[in-house]
Amino acid sequence: MLRHGQIDELRTAVGADGLITGNSQLQTYECDALTNFRVMPDAVVLPRTAAQTQAVVRVCARDRIPLVSRGAGTGLSGGALPAAGGIVISLARMNRILEVDFANRQVVVEPGVINAHVTQRVAARGYFYAPDPSSQSVCTIGGNVAENAGGAHCLKYGFTTTHVLALDVVLPSGELVQLGAPTLDAPGYDLAGVFVGSEGTLGVATKITLRIVKRPEVVQTLLAAFDSIQAAGQTVSDVIASRMLPSAMEIMDELSIEAAEAAVHAHYPACKALLLVELDGPCSEVEELMRAVKELCRNNDASEIRIAQSEQERALVWKGRKAAFAAMGRISPNYIVQDGVIPRTALPLLLDEIEQLATAAGLRVANVFHAGDGNLHPLVLYDRAVARQEEKAVELSYRILRLCVDHGGSITGEHGVGKEKQEALGYMFAEPDLATMQLVRCAFDPEKIANPDKVFPRPRLCAEKPGPYTPHPLETAGIAEIF
Amino acid sequence: MNASAALTQEQRVAQLAAMVGEEHTRHRGETAQTIQVAPGDIQQVAEILRFANANALSVMPSGGGTKLGWGNTLTADIELSMKNLNQLREHAWQDMTCTVQAGCTWTAMQDALKTHGQTVALDPLCPERATVGGIVACNDSGALRLKYGGLRDLIIGMTMMLADGTIAKSGGKVVKNVAGYDMHKLLTGSFGTLGVIAEVNFRLHPVEEHRHTWTAVGTGEIEAGSAASSVAEPLRALLDAQLTPTCVQLRVLGGECALDIRVAAPPECLGEYEKRIRNILGTLAIRESGEEIWNARQQLFDDNDALVLKVSVLPTEICPLAAELHQWTAADGTNLELVAQATGLMMVAVHSATDAALVALIERLRARVSKSGGSVVALQIPGRLRGSVDVWGPDRGAFSLMREIKRRFDPARILNPGRFVGNI
Repeated sequence: MLRHGQIDELRTAVGADGLITGNSQLQTYECDALTNFRVMPDAVVLPRTAAQTQAVVRVCARDRIPLVSRGAGTGLSGGALPAAGGIVISLARMNRILEVDFANRQVVVEPGVINAHVTQRVAARGYFYAPDPSSQSVCTIGGNVAENAGGAHCLKYGFTTTHVLALDVVLPSGELVQLGAPTLDAPGYDLAGVFVGSEGTLGVATKITLRIVKRPEVVQTLLAAFDSIQAAGQTVSDVIASRMLPSAMEIMDELSIEAAEAAVHAHYPACKALLLVELDGPCSEVEELMRAVKELCRNNDASEIRIAQSEQERALVWKGRKAAFAAMGRISPNYIVQDGVIPRTALPLLLDEIEQLATAAGLRVANVFHAGDGNLHPLVLYDRAVARQEEKAVELSYRILRLCVDHGGSITGEHGVGKEKQEALGYMFAEPDLATMQLVRCAFDPEKIANPDKVFPRPRLCAEKPGPYTPHPLETAGIAEIF
Repeated sequence: MNASAALTQEQRVAQLAAMVGEEHTRHRGETAQTIQVAPGDIQQVAEILRFANANALSVMPSGGGTKLGWGNTLTADIELSMKNLNQLREHAWQDMTCTVQAGCTWTAMQDALKTHGQTVALDPLCPERATVGGIVACNDSGALRLKYGGLRDLIIGMTMMLADGTIAKSGGKVVKNVAGYDMHKLLTGSFGTLGVIAEVNFRLHPVEEHRHTWTAVGTGEIEAGSAASSVAEPLRALLDAQLTPTCVQLRVLGGECALDIRVAAPPECLGEYEKRIRNILGTLAIRESGEEIWNARQQLFDDNDALVLKVSVLPTEICPLAAELHQWTAADGTNLELVAQATGLMMVAVHSATDAALVALIERLRARVSKSGGSVVALQIPGRLRGSVDVWGPDRGAFSLMREIKRRFDPARILNPGRFVGNI
């Protein structure tokens, strides 16, 4: 528990209106969008400036108070789950867009700025901010930086890390440093590259320089209906093999289509698998390439092919896709969202294996993929009211992640490890890999006060030495049985 | 007592030869101070590193040796040549990824990838000799960066060897992956000071089949800076247009100041591209150019006696800075050449200047570009000037954190000690 003196110091740092200690208000912060983990923080601070953030972190550093930074709380892996006995730093009030430089295609923002607001601010001059997580209308840039957020269009445009040039960061010691630079290749280690995606474990970003991108001349969205996921998957492979780089390629399976239809009436065709391909660029080029995509869809026996004819139609197509997670509520009382990645070619095999596991567990799994980059979001459906079903669903979702690793993939493509997948990280990486990451962690945060007990499989002290050298298990025996 | 004092040079050579074989162990340099070893596999690399670490022997990892002069001068006890670890281990062409060993030359890798029409979309210096490991350690990049990003955007995983022999992996073989820290970003551009890069996983792109290069020549005097100024507005307009050029560079070389533009598109669309580009470039004289124009950056290194600087500025500063540089140096007969990418990365070669003028130029340039967050690194330094030029430039506030990372990774400071920023 925080002492009175410490609370007074926090109040001095952020002002009386920037401190929350009352139980009912604290409850808002006890979890993020992964709601099955909940911890009440001792206090929440809402700084308005980097100096206030620094003052707060200095108190934490001196007294080793755990701190968890938080944006909009839309994270799906428990990254913003408070630490017991610690504080939450909400960056919600640091929400100004500080500079817009069209000529150099950069903007400077505070961490609490909402993702979609960046695009709104620069749209009139024909620019946009490319990373587009499904929660972009509410999630913040600070949270995007912590998670290295992706989205449907990162196939072509890259992830948050591609678009972050520089950051002002309050280190867990309370020191304020600039990582990266508005210009490329600042001399020294690429600390901005390491910081993005570090899930709040290396410090608190207080200012971020982002790239913006010129909006393409034209965007075309194609919907194709198939009789099987395999046919849709083959079309994706064929598109890639034809040397095209669409801005997005998404597949939804029958269950997801059903749920999305029920929720937002996207007028999707009834089918086993729906493929969405979006191309953008100069008009003549997009038209030429879209002709080729249609041809490939036909070659794989698409039963229906549609091109969105208006911006409105296009928005509706995407609304259905982006609402897919939430829509599961229409067809199942409860569900778990997962976030695995596999090499694209492993998709048909993995789907068969998921199907087998699901059948064995007596559960249904809906699938939504960012098919172009092999990122899949299996949605494990269950009913909490049925005895032991939740346990089975959790176990199934972890088994799916392990399958992804077995296929040479990853346990997370955009949601982060957070609290949810710590043990799975230990399945994906061997001890020496994790120990090496810890070297970075300890250089930034030797006392481990920033988002402690997240990401890594087990707590480890900075003074603790990794064990003697052993051959890398992934090399000698395939996948090690660490889990 | 320094542990290395315990071993004579003969003993070091004998022990290293026992690890990798005598035929892979050589003395290097006139004084034979540096022992060159060329391990044949990753386990041997680990063994050498453990030996060096235990005996406090400094280690300089090397590849093709094309950039060994970059960074602060170093005479290492051991040169760890990665040239025998040179295989393209995996090309998953349907997944558009590959895994390649550090000692593979860039060209050898690209030739193999080309059989499936794929490429790592980066154009580094000396591709025939430079190796993957060396290019990644020095974070080299060329004109393709405008469209495809730099190494940090193309590397999806890495196997690295730490000073104590630990073999660690990061990332993986999939493009989208947020599991754990991006250690490969930390190693990229770390100049061999944190670990030895053993293997790199890249994301691949299709080779651009139909491409076309145009050159627009600036008007006015190069020395007066007016030529560079004349292309500033066309460059701005070009980047603001809804075109997606692969490369755009400002080239002031061989008595010409020009903008080079490369576009890749289906053949049916190239005509329209050209029309639009001509519109944007207005009255500038335009001609078609060959692919070799994109090697212009390499030419800046042809003169071993030239000072070559890597200057990083905001994209809008390229033309004004090129103009200023020529104005600064016009008076004293200094010959200046430069190639600047539209991303803001600029290579400047300075010939025939006095030593004092060179040192002063670097300082003036640093003061000029630092105002907007830019930087100047001296890549190639004439031998006589080594030691009197600050290669990396001043601390921007993060050096202490970088030193702490170095201390955690390499507590005995055996990996390229002193070569990197802040004498890391």
